[in-house]
Order: sequence, then structure tokens, then C-alpha cells
Amino acid sequence: MNIVLEVKDLCVDYIIAHGRHVRAVDHVSFNIKEGESLGLAGESGCGKSTIAYSLLRLHRPPALINNGSIKINGHNILDMKQEELNLFRWQEASMVFQSAMNCLNPVVRLEKQFFDLYKAHGITYKRSEARKMTKELLELVGIPGDRVRDYPHQFSGGMRQRAVIAMALALKPKLLILDEPTTALDTVVQRDILKRIYDLKDKLKFSILFITHDISLMMEFCDNIAVMYAGEIVEKATAQNLLHAPRHPYSFGLKNSFPSLQGKIEYMEGIKGNPLDLNSIPVGCRFQERCFNASDICFKKEPPRVHVGENFFHCHNPLSESQEVPCG
Amino acid sequence: MKYISKRLGFYLIAFIAAITLNFFLPRLMPGDPVQMYLAELYESGGRIDEATIRAVEELFGFNTNEPLIVSYFKYVKNIFTGNWGYSFANYPQTVLQAMSRGLKWTLFLMGSGLTISFAINTFLGILVAWKRGTKFDTIVTVGGQVMANIPAVIIAIFLSYSLAHTGIFPRGYAVTPLMVHANAFEYVKDVAYHAFLPVMSIVLMSLGGIMGMRANMINQLGEDYIVMGTAKGIPDRKIMLAYSARNALLPVVTTFAMQIGFILGGSLIIELVFNYPGLGKVMLGAINGRDYPLMQGILLMSTIIMLSANFVADLAVLFLDPRIRTEGKRG
Amino acid sequence: MIKRLLNIPVVRFLKESPKTTIGLSLIIIMLIVTFGAGMFTSHDPLHRYKDEYHSPPSEEHILGTTRLGRDVFAQTLYGGRTSITVGVFAGVIAVSISLVVGVTAGYFGGLVDNVITTIINVVMVIPQMVLLLIIAAMLGGSSPILIATIIGFTSWPFGARVIRAQTMSIRSREFIHSAETLGETKLRRLFVEIMPNMLSMISSAFVGTVIYAIMAQTFLEFIGFGDPLSVTWGTMLNHAQTTGALSSGIWWEVFGPSASIIILGAGLTLINFSIDELSNPKLRAQRFMSSYYKEKKKLMKLEAKNSLGSSHVEGGQK
Repeated sequence: MNIVLEVKDLCVDYIIAHGRHVRAVDHVSFNIKEGESLGLAGESGCGKSTIAYSLLRLHRPPALINNGSIKINGHNILDMKQEELNLFRWQEASMVFQSAMNCLNPVVRLEKQFFDLYKAHGITYKRSEARKMTKELLELVGIPGDRVRDYPHQFSGGMRQRAVIAMALALKPKLLILDEPTTALDTVVQRDILKRIYDLKDKLKFSILFITHDISLMMEFCDNIAVMYAGEIVEKATAQNLLHAPRHPYSFGLKNSFPSLQGKIEYMEGIKGNPLDLNSIPVGCRFQERCFNASDICFKKEPPRVHVGENFFHCHNPLSESQEVPCG
Repeated sequence: MKYISKRLGFYLIAFIAAITLNFFLPRLMPGDPVQMYLAELYESGGRIDEATIRAVEELFGFNTNEPLIVSYFKYVKNIFTGNWGYSFANYPQTVLQAMSRGLKWTLFLMGSGLTISFAINTFLGILVAWKRGTKFDTIVTVGGQVMANIPAVIIAIFLSYSLAHTGIFPRGYAVTPLMVHANAFEYVKDVAYHAFLPVMSIVLMSLGGIMGMRANMINQLGEDYIVMGTAKGIPDRKIMLAYSARNALLPVVTTFAMQIGFILGGSLIIELVFNYPGLGKVMLGAINGRDYPLMQGILLMSTIIMLSANFVADLAVLFLDPRIRTEGKRG
Repeated sequence: MIKRLLNIPVVRFLKESPKTTIGLSLIIIMLIVTFGAGMFTSHDPLHRYKDEYHSPPSEEHILGTTRLGRDVFAQTLYGGRTSITVGVFAGVIAVSISLVVGVTAGYFGGLVDNVITTIINVVMVIPQMVLLLIIAAMLGGSSPILIATIIGFTSWPFGARVIRAQTMSIRSREFIHSAETLGETKLRRLFVEIMPNMLSMISSAFVGTVIYAIMAQTFLEFIGFGDPLSVTWGTMLNHAQTTGALSSGIWWEVFGPSASIIILGAGLTLINFSIDELSNPKLRAQRFMSSYYKEKKKLMKLEAKNSLGSSHVEGGQK
């Protein structure tokens, strides 16, 4: 099986003053295979979007990729020169941003935004041909072709998001990155859009990196899930495993924060405490303050990576495969 | 279109407000301008009799026989029918006649100055925002800041002294006096030669505008669709021009409309230092000659210039922002 | 001890922001030099030194003398007092008016807002310079205080508009709503919640107006509207012009007031920009660009070293 995305020891820093920086992503490593969809879950600010931006090298100062390697389809992104990067972007990997309204240029017609794309990648320089291709793409997502000459503000929220998805698939990339694609939409539209994406995934055969904070959504749609906390991946497992037998206390807490639609009404456990302030990272495990399973060693040594088949986690005191719900 | 008619309506109101201000201004000032003028007339040996007094009052619109409101409406009507009164100092020229030559040169100066400085500011602003943080950015930014707070007077004086004194550029006038030009091209050359320093003063004076464009560009650069453009693989230069700049232009044009008053004032100052025969010079003559009707005429005329320039800016915004154009058409 | 002093937030801020430090220093220097003029020169600005007309800078007269034999340096320093006072006075008037008008419009909204906005727009469209000139002409030459008042009353619209916009955006923000639910009265909300947020707007409007006021004042006096008996930077320039200083190469008479205006203006503008930076964090990031570029260079050097040494290792990996 081909590896579409390989991330190794990625570190991303934000420079906040002369000589001082905050590490938003700390030695993160993970892979995505062909046809696989990986979900990246975690609280706001844990570094998910930062990773996504790194994959296409979209960071602007004061953000800086300070270490590690990123390989998409075998190409090393971090080494690429500007022209190579421009060609590579969108062609091998593309991204659907969080808020469709904000990511479409408000003063340019939709068809021109596609045309720019085709021109930049040398696909076609003829307006008529571009328009034909654009209409086909829009049909794929269910937008009538005659809307092609409209401006972004003339579409409804759901349609805009679908247009953005169509744009992301324009060059048939091997990797589609979805950064909170449905957060701004209502649940009915959410489901519709995600279903479309997954149908297209099977049809066009691409892999997906699905970033969101909504774990229940991920569990339905993703093959594997990686859970992030404070800039590190604390557990990566198949969706089934994470649902039924999470090993890391944080994954457990996350899973339990989403009420299920069926079943009896129970008291919800949240995760106590607040997200970690990256300016003051403690010695030992980062999750120590909020962990119900913490012991002495957690405050002294960083937990090692433990592999279980394709899955892995970082924890001194992982939950066992059949752990019961602990109280309080 | 609704947008245009709203703007025109506003300008009409503003114009009437200016007329009203004009009407009441002499009356609000301490001292009776009619008396003051008559006093001067007397000192220069003129005859004062009933008829003269009446004539002067008529000129001023100060007819004490009729109620204020009637005078007011007469005045408004006069303005709209092109009767702006007679200029005192340049009698028997009408106010409009006295202004015409000056108006021509001021428009020329303002027009060229505005166009050139707008082009330079926009271009530099874009460049500087893109190369944020580099040495180039710091130099231009600091330079622009410094320029922004050197008053127009100083700039004009400085240029006048340094370049004109050394004889490279002429010290004043729009064209070499008394010269008969061989052909149109010679005329243009002469005009350009004389206009160089004043226009350069305007450009230097407005360099502060770079900061506005730069700040707008920086705000733009953080926008999601810029990031998306980069993600799509569109080369940086294209993003800078077609995406960022185009969108940053909008607020700049709006601010530009507000800056016009500043530029107008600056032009007057520059004209005075360079002895350029524009409205500024006419204004100075009017002030020294206590020529109130002429002064009022200049006020109205400059208001008209402002309103027109604002209107042009409105049209530009309409052109640049399709959101206004397609208002009401939803999908 | 010194180290602790250097670390209190205020000092650290100044260290990190050269713009603010320079700006503040320039302003403070100007203030000291003008208001404490007595300490820096022993000459009386109005005293005529016979036999020393139009003499170039020397030990005795640091900036030379005017045609009437007055010491330029002393004139610059003493004259500065009036110029600066007028500027500040005008600034205070203009900002007070802007504040009242802007906040009222932004806070009460509706009809009040519409009426006020129209008024603001109309006043803005009438060219201020021309109006200034006409009013000054009709009042026939004026004292600095009068000039300050006129300037103050004609330059408020710009600030009013900005303040109005800011008020409206703050008003609809959530913490205002929560204050309302807590039962704060409308007026108290206005003063306690909204105003402090606008401090940066207000101060930059103030600084901007002072700059403009100094310029307008200089211009008016340059044309001849100032009080010929008083000494200010503008009247100095006017004097220089009418006595033909420029054409006879007497540069020092122009230098004194011009340099002062430029220095003061530069200081004020720098302060304005640092206020901008304080309130807009995006602009602030620029300061750290140099560290960013340094880090980047470090990275690239590291990469070059690594790729030379470990490329064969990379190839073998799966």
C-alpha cells in the first residue's frame, strides 16, 4: 500500500518576541495510506490546524517550521523551491478551509477563481474550456452549472462549502485536507456534505485528513483517528478501537464528552481542568494536571510511545483493553 | 442606480449647506463688512453717497430693506444660476471670471499631483506590505512617516529654496511670463517645467498615504482567501496584485476621498510658496483686498471641487466592489 | 538592581519598541527645550542686537540672527512655546468635540446617528483650509488663541467619524450586552465599559490633530495672519519670507523653525504609529520578523548540513 502522507518529528514554532518562541507542534509523526481517511482530533488550540497548514507550507511569519520532514507521495515538501511548491500545491494535495465565505475572494466571480487555478497549473488557458471543466466539477457536488458566473456572496452557506470542495478536487489530488469543514453549518447540511465527500473519495480515490473537534463525527467517517493534546499526538488508533477501547485517558475523556443519540440519559463526565498554556510546559507528561489516571512517574518522565499493531499511544498508565468507566 | 442617486442627493445637501454657510459667514463676523469696505473706499478717495452705499449692499447681498430669508433665497437662486456676484478688487470682473484662470491652474496641479501620488503610494504600499519586515520595508515606512509630518509649507519652502535657488527649476509662475510659445509641444514643455516642483511637493506631502495602503494590505494578507490562493499554487506575484491589492484598494479609495480636502489645502499652500497662479494666489489677493465676494466664491468653488472628487471616488468604489453592484440579486 | 529596573514591563516595552522610545524622546526633548528655554539660551528673543543683522551662526548666536538682529536660536526656543501650546489647545478642542459627537452618534444609533452622520459628512466635505483662511481673513489677523480655536472647531469631523465607528463596533460586542443584563445603566456603560476601549483611537486622533494644528497655524502665520508682535515658528517663517531671507541665502532663519516643526512632528507621528501597533497585534508581529529571519537562516544551514550527511539514510526508509 502506498503511503500518501508521511510526517516525521514535525515541530512548528511561533516567534513571540526576540529570541523567544512557543512550540505549537512538538515532534509529531504519523502516516496516511492510499485511500485511508485519518481524523485529527483535539481541543481548540492543540495544534491541529497548524499541522494542516504545514502540509502545504502555508505558514506565514511569525510561524516557522523548525524541524522534521513532511513527505507527500514521496516528495519532500520542506525542501521544495518556490516554483516546484506552486505546482505541487493543490495538484498532489489540496485543502478545504473552515469558513467557505472567507476563503473565496469576494470580488471575483466563481468561474474566474477556478480559471486562475487552471492557468497557474497549466491545465488550460482557454476560458471556454475552463468553464466547461468548472461546470462538470460543480455538478459533482450538486451545484447547477449556470451559477458559475456568480459572486461568492450570492450563494447560501451550504452551496459555498460545496463549491469550495469542488475547487479542492479540481486537480484530482491524492490527499484532501479538511479543516473543520462543517463547523459553520447546521447538522443536516453537515451530514450531506460529508457523505458527498466520502462518495467522491471512493470514486476519485484520494486520502483524507479530517481535522475537527467533533469526535463523534469522526468516528462515523474516519478509518483511523489521531488524538492531539498540547501539540503532541497522544494516541492514534482505528475508529473502532478508539470508540470501544481507548487507551489514553484523554481519548477516553473526549469520547465521553459527546452524548449519544440513543441510550439512556446519563451524567456526562467532562475533562477537568483547562487546556495547557504552551508557555509553561510541565516536566513529564503534558496531560498530568487533568488526568484521572496520573501517578508519580507522570510528573517526572515523558511517556514513551507504545505500539499496538498499527496503533500507538503515549502513556505511563494506559487504560486496559476492557477498562470500565471510572467515577470522578 | 440607488447607490449613485443616494450619493448625488447627499452632495446636493452638502452644496446647499456650503451656500448657507457662505451666506451667513460675513454676517457672523464682528464688524459690518459693508462699513469696512466703504471705509476703505473712502480712504482711497472714492465717493460715498446713497447710491454707492446701496450698490455695495446689493453686491454683498446685505440689503437691509428686505427680510433675511428673502435675501437668502435670492442668494441661493443666484448661485444656481451662475450669478456669483462681482469681485471687489477686480471690478468689473465677476467672481467667476476672476477665478477662472486660477481655477484652471489649480485643477491642473491638483489633478497631476493626485494621480502621480496615488499611483506611487499604491505601488509602494503593495510592495512594502509584501516584503514586510525586510530592510526595504523599514526604510520606506520610516521615510513615509517622516514625510507625513513635514508640513506642506516646509516641503514647499525647502524645495523652492534648494532646487529653485540653484536655478535648476524656475522659482514661480506656471509658464515663463511674456513668452510666446512656438507650438503646442513647447507650451506643454514649459508648463511641465514650471509645474515640476509644485507637483513634487504635493507628491512628497502625500507620501504618508503609503502607510494606509500598507496597513490595509497587511490586514488583507491575513485573510483566508489569500491563504487559499497560495494553497492553490498561485504564484506570489499574482496573489499580491490580483487578490490582495485589488481588495485593499477599496478602503484606500474611500480614505482617499477624505484626504482630498487635505490635498486641496496643501495645493493652496504650495501655490503660495511657488507663486503659482492658481486659486491660492487668487485667494491671497482676495484676502489682502478684503474682497469678500471673491473669497466666498473660492469657498464655493473649492467645495465643488471636493464634491466632484468625492463623486469620482464613489464611482471608483462602485467599479471595484461587485458587492455593491449586485446588491439585491441573491441566489 | 539595574537588571530589575530594566525588567519592569514599561521599560521592557520601550526597549522592544524603538518607535515609541524615539518618538517619546523627541517630544520630551522639544518640550524641555522650549518650555525651559531660559536654560538653553541667555538671549532675549525680542532683543535687537545692533550691528549684527543677518549674521551667520556663530558661538555667540548659535543659529545666527535675523534681519532685525534678533537671535534665531532664542526665537526658536521661546517661540516654540506658543506654537506647541496652540497645537495642543486646538487638539484638545477638536478631540473633545469629536468625542462627544462620535460617541453620541455611535452609541444612540437610529435617528440621532443618521442626523449626526450627515452633519459630519457635510462638514467634512467643506474644505477646511479654505474655511480657515476665510474666517481668519474676516476676523482680520488674529492672536494665537483665536487661531487655535478656529482650527479646533474646523478639524473635528475626521476624528468624530472614527470614534463613531469604534463606538458602534464596541457597543455590539458581547461584554456590553452582559453589562446590560447585569443592570448597569446606559450612561454608566458608556463611561465605564466603552470609553476605555477607545483610548487608543482617542489618543491617535489627538496626536493627529495636534500635528495638523501646528501645520495650519504655521501656514496661517506664514501668510501673514499671525500676530506680528508675537514670536512663533510660523511668524518666524513669515518674517524670513518677507525680509527675503531665502533669496539672500540666509538659511538659518528658516532652519530654526523648520527643524523644530519637523522634529516635533516626527515625534508625534512615531507615537501615533506605536499606538497603532499597540492596538493592532498584526502590525506588532512585524517587530519580530528579524528573529524570524534569523531562525530561518539557522534552519537552512542545519538542513544543508543534514542533507549532505544523511541523504542515504533517507533513501532507505519506508
